[in-house]
Parts: sequence; C-alpha cells; structure tokens
Amino acid sequence: MTESKTGTVIVWMKSAGGITVTLSILIAIIAGIDSGPYIIVNTIVTGGMLALVALGLALIFGVMNIPMFAHGEFFMIGSLTAYYIFTPLAEYLNTSPNSLLAATAPLIAILGAMIVGAVAGLLCELLIFSQLRKRSRENWVMNSFLLTVGLSVVLINAHQLLFGTEFKGIVRYWGGRPTEIMGAFVSRDRILVFVLAMVVVGVFWLFMKYTSTGRAIRAVSQDQTGALMVGININGILLLTMALGCALSAIAGAGLLFLYPSYPAVGLEPLYLAWFVVILVGLGNTAFALVGGFIVALIKALTVEYIGAGWDFVIPSLLITVVLVFKPSGLFGSEVRGVLDL
Amino acid sequence: MKTNDSNMESGLADRIMDRLCLTPAAVAGIILLFVIPFIPPFNQQYMIRWLVAAALIGANAIAFDFTIGFINIVNFGYYAFLGFGGYTSAILAVNLGLSPWIGMIIGALFSGVLGLLTGLLTLRLRGIFAACMTWFLGLAMMGLITKMVWLTRGPLGLRCPQLFETSSNLPYYYLILSLLIVIYISTKWVTRSNMGLAFKAIGQNMEAARTSGINPVFYRIVNFTLSCTIAGLLGGFYAHYYGVLTPELLHTTKTVEVLAVAYIGGRGSLWGGAFIAFPFIITMELIRSSLSELPGLNLIIYGLMLMLVMIYYPGGFAEFFNTYLAKPKNRFLRYFLSGIKDS
Repeated sequence: MTESKTGTVIVWMKSAGGITVTLSILIAIIAGIDSGPYIIVNTIVTGGMLALVALGLALIFGVMNIPMFAHGEFFMIGSLTAYYIFTPLAEYLNTSPNSLLAATAPLIAILGAMIVGAVAGLLCELLIFSQLRKRSRENWVMNSFLLTVGLSVVLINAHQLLFGTEFKGIVRYWGGRPTEIMGAFVSRDRILVFVLAMVVVGVFWLFMKYTSTGRAIRAVSQDQTGALMVGININGILLLTMALGCALSAIAGAGLLFLYPSYPAVGLEPLYLAWFVVILVGLGNTAFALVGGFIVALIKALTVEYIGAGWDFVIPSLLITVVLVFKPSGLFGSEVRGVLDL
Repeated sequence: MKTNDSNMESGLADRIMDRLCLTPAAVAGIILLFVIPFIPPFNQQYMIRWLVAAALIGANAIAFDFTIGFINIVNFGYYAFLGFGGYTSAILAVNLGLSPWIGMIIGALFSGVLGLLTGLLTLRLRGIFAACMTWFLGLAMMGLITKMVWLTRGPLGLRCPQLFETSSNLPYYYLILSLLIVIYISTKWVTRSNMGLAFKAIGQNMEAARTSGINPVFYRIVNFTLSCTIAGLLGGFYAHYYGVLTPELLHTTKTVEVLAVAYIGGRGSLWGGAFIAFPFIITMELIRSSLSELPGLNLIIYGLMLMLVMIYYPGGFAEFFNTYLAKPKNRFLRYFLSGIKDS
C-alpha cells in the first residue's frame, strides 16, 4: 500500500507539474538562503491572496466558460467596500479602544466586501451574461470575453467618476508588533490575512467536495447538458458560481487593503497575475490554482529581487509564453476540452 | 444614342466602383470627408485634430475588424503592434536620421514580423489563448519600453520628427484619410478573394472549414500578420503626427477603444468601424472637453455602448444600415445607398 503510494508520488514528480513544483520549492529555498527568508514569506503571503483571485477566475471559466477580464474589478470593489466599512469603524475604535470591535472590525469589513462582491457578481450575471446567453450561444467564449472587457472599462471609470482617483487605503487592520519567522519580521496583518485566505480556500474546497450544491457545480463544469438531464437547475448554478467567484476576488481585495490601497485601476495587477496563474496551471483547473498562485508569486518575488522592479510583467509573460508553446493545456493539464481547436 | 452612351459611362463607373469595393454613397462620403476641413464648424485646427484622431481610429478599426470579424481572433494587444511599429520608426528617425516615410514602412514590416511570430506561437491554439497571449505581449512590451530608457527614454516620452514641415494639421488629415481608404480597399480585396472566403469559413465554423480542406492555422497567420502590418504602419503615422511616444500607448485601454468602435460599427463589415469612427470620436471628444469635471464619463459610455451592442445588436451599425437603410423604395436612392441596380 505504502509502496504504491510512493510509486504514484514518484510518477507525479516526473510529470510537468511535479517537476515545476519541486523546482519551485528548490528555487524558493535557494533564494531564501541567498538573500534572506523574507522572499519565502513574501511569496507565501501574496501567493495566498493571488490563489483566491485565481481560484475565482478558474471557477468562472471552468463552470461558465467565461474568460473573465473584469475579475480585477471585483478585487477593486472588495477593497473599496472594505475601506468604507473599516474607516468609520477604526475612527470609532480610536475613541473607545478596548471594545470587542478591535478584533472583529477587519473581519466585518472583509465579510461586507464578500457580500458586496457576491451581489455585484449576481447583478453581472443577471444583467449581462444571462442576457447574452439568451440571445446567442455562438462564439460564446470570445463574446463573453469582450463583454467582460467592456464591463471592466465601465467599472474602472465608474469608480473614478464616483469616488475619485485618490488612493483610499488604510495603514493596518489589526496592527501590533511584527512577529519573527525564520529571521524575517512579518507584520501580524500579513499572517492573519494569509490564515484567512487559507481558511477561505479550505471552506471553498469542503463546499465543492462535500455539499450537494458543490457537486452540482462540478457536474455543470463537466457537462452542462448532462447536468441539465439529471435535473440540476443550471441557471441557479451559474448565478451561484458567478457570485462565488466574484466574492473570492472581493475577499482578496479586502484582505490586501493595507497593502494595495483602493483606486480605480487597482484590480489590473491582480488580474494579470491571476491570468498568469490560470494559464500556467491550465484554463479552468481550479484544483491547482492554489499551487499556481504560489508559483507565480515566487516568480514575481524573484524577478523583483534579482532583476529589478518594473520587470515583473516582462519575465512572467515570457515564462507563460514558453509554457504555452510547449504545454498549451497548462502544467497540470486541464479538464476543459479543446485547447487546440485545430 | 445618347442614353446608350450614358449607360456605357455609368457602366464603367459602376465597374470602377465595384473594383474599388465602394458604393455611390461611399464615394460621396469620401468626397465629403475630403472637403469637410473647409466647412465652417470643422475648419478650426482643433477640429481637424479630432478628425485626424477619428480617421486614425477608423483605420485601426478596419485592421482590427479584419481579424476579429473574419477569423474570430481578438488581437488584444493591437496597440502593442501599433506601438512597436511606431517606436521602430521613431528610433530609426532619431538615432539614424532615417526619413520618417521610410521609417513608417520599416516599422510596418517589423510589426508584421512580430505578428507573424506571435501568430506562429498562438494561432494553433483556441482563440482565447491568442487573445491572452497578445495581451501579455502588450504588457511585456510596455514593461520593456519603460525599462529600456537608453533607447526609448522610457516614461519621459520619445520625441520624434514630424512628417511635414508645417504646424497645420491639414496635410496629416489628407495623409491619414488616404491611408484609411487604401487600407479599406486592400483589406476588402483580400476578403473578396478566395482567401477571404477561407477566412470567413474559419471564423464561422472551424470544423466545416477543415473538412473542406482549409488549413486554418495558415490562413489565421496570414490574416493576423496582415493586420499587424497595418497596425505598424499606422503606428508610424501616430509617432510622426503626435511627435511623442510614451509606453502608455501600448496599454490595453487603447485597444478597447478600437474594439468598441469596430463593434459598434459592425463586426465583419470593415466599413462600419471606419464610418462610425467619425461621429463617435467627435462626440466623445466633445463630451470629454465639455464635461471635464466628470473624468472617465466618455470611457463609461464606450464600455456601455460596447456591451449593449454586443448583447442586443451584434451586427452593429452595418447590420442596421443593411436591413433598414440600404434598400429604400426610391430607385435612385437605392442605387445610391447600395450600388445595386434593378435589371
């Protein structure tokens, strides 16, 4: 039994995905020894949040077949909501510090962002995608992609019009003394936010794996017609998926508010990186989005460390190109059919 | 005898128009565009500047529509190819003192080669991969240009020589208008040929196209390369008209502008985008200059228009024109609008 298990592990290690993961871990360790463990810590914290954004993106692509270009805008909506919830709470806390709110205010902000993100996702599905679905299913992927492009432009500029272009950020969520991990000082906010991200991923995984709704979502992602035949309410599932995906992105935006202040185009960077992740692991592959998030975060951290800031789009783009040339279905393979439509 | 003569003449005119893929209405429109800089509200220099911008967007929309409307590939890094051509031309002019006219052509060739390479890499994959790859390419090139300060002066902007030795915008307007017409006619020729038939087949039904013996990758690459070459040429014009290039030029928001115009004009029609660019861009500029306290409003209108057209009227203006306007009862009007004569 144990032997066969190690056997499968070795087989997996020899696959493209296994090689990448092993290499990434090795590189991370070498870089950590070479220039300090803060690289590893940075990678893990940003990777966790990136994984949330990428997870939503992969979910929406896998289930609804929508290549979401406006996903970063839900990140922006999340951070904006968290800002407007947290700032008044923080002011209140300044007058009465030791109340119960001190520990829960950030959680309230993030929860609020999640709800607003989910509602925004619902509205998008109802007002935009279901309308398109009713009218035309031809060239669905391309048309829905262009729709999300329009949506992204509208949301970015609506933010600019309604809330202005200035940075709306906060200094800290919980604050407190930074903790020392492996010789690197990490602020408590980062640790707690990382823990939060992992909890969200865990809950999401449990939801997808063990609830009947989660099973229905997976069924729809595998075969929509089949799912319809066994009596799954497709429209409801699509609505729920959109809300879930957008809520994940909004949570990431709210969680990272102390690092990325909210401004109109704040969502672009997470969007690019999330797309890198999704293409790296294979379009629509939700299971490995988590791993991909850490890999891309590592690539970004290494680029900034060894080549310099400003190159952090150039190098990942080149790497993604290489991946696309040699393994178009992504490093971990993809369940979505027809990568090569020729 | 006389009527026969005039029939012969109109027959020749028809044949010429047919060869040039124009209808009488289009010829009238082109003549109007040529004289419009002398008609009062448009004879101000700032108005001519807007007209140049509109013609540039219109020409871009044709090249963009050539890809999206026929082979169903979104070149999401369109402005990366445009910027690449522009930067090539500008760098050649600044560092080697090459004439901007030659530089524009070299820039176009460079963009074409870049398009060919990108096409070879991505066009064998599903359309969405090409969209993503060109998008990432645009990002990477924007980063590169920002970082290669010694060559491109990065975010400071690269100053490049102008095409004409005058401060007037008029010669530029006529140049871009001629380019627009040449681009329209040449792309229309291609789409009318057998190759254009293959493009349409690929865009509509890949399986059926392959069954009829069409090699989709080959045709996709040809189409994509051609579109990128045009982008490079227009990039050269952009560089030597505005006289300054910044990495922001390669940003996706610019591509979205062209995308919106191409879609509102009518996907797959080629002329729709070129036509709609003029009223649309001028309205947008008016909104932007009169409502400057509401920044971003014009872009919201762009996005909303794009979404509305895509959901509710995917044919855009061209379909509207063809269904409602092109075939009126009056015979003369019908000939004028659609170029079809009753037999």
